[in-house]
Amino acid sequence: MLPFAMHIPDGYLSPSTCATLAAAAAPFWYVALRRVKSALHARLIPLISLFAAFSFVIMMFNLPLPGGTTGHAVGMGVAAIVLGPWASILAISIALTIQAVFFGDGGITAIGANCFNMAIVGSLVGYGTYRLVAWRAALGSARRVAAAGLAGYTAINVAALCAAIEFGIQPLLFRDTSGAPLYAPYPLRIAIPAMMLGHLTLAGLAELVISSGMVAYLQRTDPGLLRATAPDAPPSDELVRPAGRDRRLPTARKLWLALAALLILTPLGILAVGSAWGEWSARDFADPQVRREIATASRNQAPPPAAPRGLERLSSIWTAPLSRYAPSFVRGASFGYLVSAMVGVGLIIVVAPLLNWLLALLPAARPGRRRKGFVEKTARGLLDVTEQALFAEDMAAASGFLQRLDPRVKLIGIGALIVAAVAVHRLWVLAGILALGVVLALASHIPIRLLTARVWLAVLAFTGAIALPAIFLTPGAAVWRVPLLGWAVTQQGVRSAAFLVLRAETAATLSTLLILTTLWTRLLHALRYFRAPIVIVAILGMTYRYMFLFLAAARDMFESRESRIVGVLAPSDRRRLAAASAGVLLGKTLQVSGEVHMAMQARGFRGEIRLLDDLQMRPNDWLRLAAFVGAATLAVWLGR
Amino acid sequence: MTNLRNELAFDVREVSYRYNQVAALNSLSMHVRRGERVALLGANGSGKSTLLRLLAGLCFPERGEISFLGESLTEHALRDEEFFYRFRRRVGLVFQNADVQLFSPSVFDELAFGPLQLRWPAQKIRDRVGEVLRSMDIAHLQDRAPHRLSGGEKKRVALASVLVLDPEVLLLDEPSGALDPSSQARIVDFLVSCGNGAKTVITSTHDLDTLEDIADRCYVFANGRVAAEGAPLEILHDVALLERAKLIRPHAHVHAHGEGGVQPHPHVHRGEGD
Repeated sequence: MLPFAMHIPDGYLSPSTCATLAAAAAPFWYVALRRVKSALHARLIPLISLFAAFSFVIMMFNLPLPGGTTGHAVGMGVAAIVLGPWASILAISIALTIQAVFFGDGGITAIGANCFNMAIVGSLVGYGTYRLVAWRAALGSARRVAAAGLAGYTAINVAALCAAIEFGIQPLLFRDTSGAPLYAPYPLRIAIPAMMLGHLTLAGLAELVISSGMVAYLQRTDPGLLRATAPDAPPSDELVRPAGRDRRLPTARKLWLALAALLILTPLGILAVGSAWGEWSARDFADPQVRREIATASRNQAPPPAAPRGLERLSSIWTAPLSRYAPSFVRGASFGYLVSAMVGVGLIIVVAPLLNWLLALLPAARPGRRRKGFVEKTARGLLDVTEQALFAEDMAAASGFLQRLDPRVKLIGIGALIVAAVAVHRLWVLAGILALGVVLALASHIPIRLLTARVWLAVLAFTGAIALPAIFLTPGAAVWRVPLLGWAVTQQGVRSAAFLVLRAETAATLSTLLILTTLWTRLLHALRYFRAPIVIVAILGMTYRYMFLFLAAARDMFESRESRIVGVLAPSDRRRLAAASAGVLLGKTLQVSGEVHMAMQARGFRGEIRLLDDLQMRPNDWLRLAAFVGAATLAVWLGR
Repeated sequence: MTNLRNELAFDVREVSYRYNQVAALNSLSMHVRRGERVALLGANGSGKSTLLRLLAGLCFPERGEISFLGESLTEHALRDEEFFYRFRRRVGLVFQNADVQLFSPSVFDELAFGPLQLRWPAQKIRDRVGEVLRSMDIAHLQDRAPHRLSGGEKKRVALASVLVLDPEVLLLDEPSGALDPSSQARIVDFLVSCGNGAKTVITSTHDLDTLEDIADRCYVFANGRVAAEGAPLEILHDVALLERAKLIRPHAHVHAHGEGGVQPHPHVHRGEGD
C-alpha cells in the first residue's frame, strides 16, 4: 500500500454510487479530451502521458512540513496551474487509474469516484482559485506563489469534502434487512469532520507547500511555463531571473500564518454545505453515541491517515483525550469543524516539536538507528514502488492458472467478481467470493504468506481501524456492553463493520491477483480488443513506461542530494529542496515529452495512433469467461 | 552507381536555428551525397543534434533552406500526407537518448510502431518485425518492456525500431555514446556494414577512434558552424583543428626516461570533448 492521501478503496461505496460518479465524470473526460486534443493536436499523447507519469512520481514525494512531520501531496494544484484544468483532469485521472490497477491504491470499482473527487473537482477548484487569487498579477509576483499555495490547499480540501459526502450518504441509502449499513458506516455528521480534520491540517499543508514551492521555482527558472494559465498577466519579465536564494518561498513562519488564516476561512466556507447535509442525516439518525465522533475523526480517512506518516504517531496521542470532552463542541455540528481543525493543529504545534526533541535524543542512546530525513525517505519510497512493480511483473511472467489465462478473460472475469463482492448483501456470499479468490491464488502459485502480509493484514489494519468505532456508533439492538464504560456494541454495528472489512479484503485480494498475474503489455492488448478508445490505451501504455524513467530520475536526484547534504537542513531549506526537485522533474517531463513527440513523428506519427490487433479468443477462453461471469452472477443472485 | 553517388541526398544552405533564444546553428551549409557515410564531429552543444533534427524534418530552420533529394523540406511540405509518408519511409533518425525513442509498452510494439503508422498490412508488419528482431539479435527481448532493458539493449532496440522501415537515409545521434565496449562494437560493426553505398548514413559523434571505420567524409562543428570538412584521416591529423573544436585536450604529460628522470613534453590525447 502506498502512502497516498484520500484514495477511496473498494467496498466503501456502493456499486450504484460508483456508477453514478463514473457517469458524472464521463462528460468531463469527454470535454477534456476534446478540448485538449484541439489545443495540442499530435502533442496530446506524449504530453498527457508524461505529465501523468510526473503526477504519479510527485505523489511519492515526502514533503517536509512544519513541526518535523512529512506529508504527501496529490499535486492537482501543480497540474492545474501548469497544464490548465482540462489537461490536468486527464493527467491526474490516468495517474489515479494506474495507481488503482497496478498498485492496488484506491479501489478498481472506485476509480470513477476517485477521479471525480481528485482529478475533476480538484483540478477545476485548483485552477479557479489560482486564477481568481492571482488575478492580473505579474508572472514573477509573490502573489502568484500565494495563489498557488491557496489553490492546492483549497483543491485538496474540496476534493476531501466530496469524498466525505460520498462516504456520508452510504448509510442513508444502503442497509441490509437488519438495518446495518452495507458500505461506509458513518453518517455525514461524522464523515465530514473526520475527513476534513486531516485535510484541513496536514494533507492541505502538503499540497500548499508543493504548489507554492513549484510556482516559486518556476518563476525563477522557467516563467514561460506559467504563461499558459496566466493570460491576464502583464506581458513582461519572462526573462529568467538571476539564480540565487529564492526569497519568495514561504518560510516556516509564513506557512504557519497562512495555515492559521486558512483554518479560519475554509471551514466557514464549507459550513453552508456541511450543515445542510448534516440536517438531512440528523433526521435519519438518532445517534446516542455522539461522544465517539471525534475518536474516529483522525482515522476515518480513506488511506493511511491523512497522508502524513508523522500524524500517525500523533493521532493516537491527541485523539484519546479529545474523545472525552469533544462532544459538547461537536454537537453543534457547524462549530465542530472549526474547533476540531484548530484543536488538531494546536496540538500538532505543541506535540510535534516535543516529539522531535525527544527523537533527537534517541540517536545518542541507540546509535544503530539514525532518524531518516525526508530526502532518504523519499528515495526509499521511490525505490519501493519500482521494486513493487518489478516484482509484480516477475510474478506475472511465472506459470500458473491465472497467468495462463487470456488477459481479456482475466480482466472481465476478475472484474465481475470484484463487482459482485461490492454488490452482495450477505456476509456468507462475500466469504464465498473471498474463498474463491484464495483458491485462484493457490492455483496460480501465489504464496499465501505474501497475500497475508501485503493484502490481508494491511487491509485489516487500515479498514479495521476505520470499521471498529462503527460497532458502537451504529444505532441498533445492543448485544453487549463494554464493562465500566458502558458503551453498547450493536448487532447492526458488528454486521456493518464485518461488511466493510470483508468487502475491502475480498476486493483487495481479487485486484491483487489481477496485478500479480497479468503482464501489462498483455493487458494493453486486451484493452485494445475491447475497443477502448485507442488514445486512452496509448496514453496508459506510455504513462506506465515513463513512470519508471521518472521514478529512477527522481531517485537519482534525491540520492545525489542526500550524498551532498552535510549536517541538518533548516526546515524552509528542506521545503525549498523538495519543491525544487519537483520543479527539476517538471522540466525533465516537458523536455522528454517534446523529444518523445519528435521520436514518434520521425517514425510516421501524425497524431493518430495505430495499433496491431492480434489476440484471437479461442473456444476455451470463452468457456472460462463464461465460468467467471457465471460465478459472479450466481454470487450476486445468492447475495441479493 | 556513380550516377546515384553524385545525387545529393541533403543540401543544407545557410541554415540558422535558435533554441531558447540561443543560436544553435549559425548560417551553416553542408551537403550529403546519396550512399555516402558522413560523420558530424563536434563537442557537446556544437549543434550536431540540432542539425540531425532539422534533417529529419522535426524542426525547421529560421533562415536558410534544406532540401532532400531536390525537394524542399519545409513544415508546409510535410503537411502534405503523400510527401510526409514518402519522406518518413526513406529517412530514419535514431535519437541519442534511447529512452526517448522507446515509448511503446514492449519491444515488439516498438518495432511495429513505425510500420503501423505507415499503414503497412498487418501480416507484412509481423513478418518484417520478426526478421529485424532476428537480424539484430534481439528476438529474445520481444516481449520485454523498455524499462527492463540494459543500456546496450535499449540502443539496439532503438536502432532496430528505425531499421524495420528499411530507410535509405539513416541519421544517428551519438549511436555509441555511453555504451560498454561490446555493445559499442556491435553498433560500429553495423555502421561498417553500411559502407557498400546502399544506404546514406549521417552519424554524429565525438568518438575519434572509430571515425575511419564509420565515415567516408566528416564535418567538424564548432559554435553552430562548420569549422572544417574532409576525409577522416585528414581531419584526424589536424591537431590544431581538433583542439579548437574541443575534440581533444592538450595537456602536459610525464614519461619516465630511464635514469634521466622525468621529462615533461607537450602531448595530445584523443578523447571526448566534454
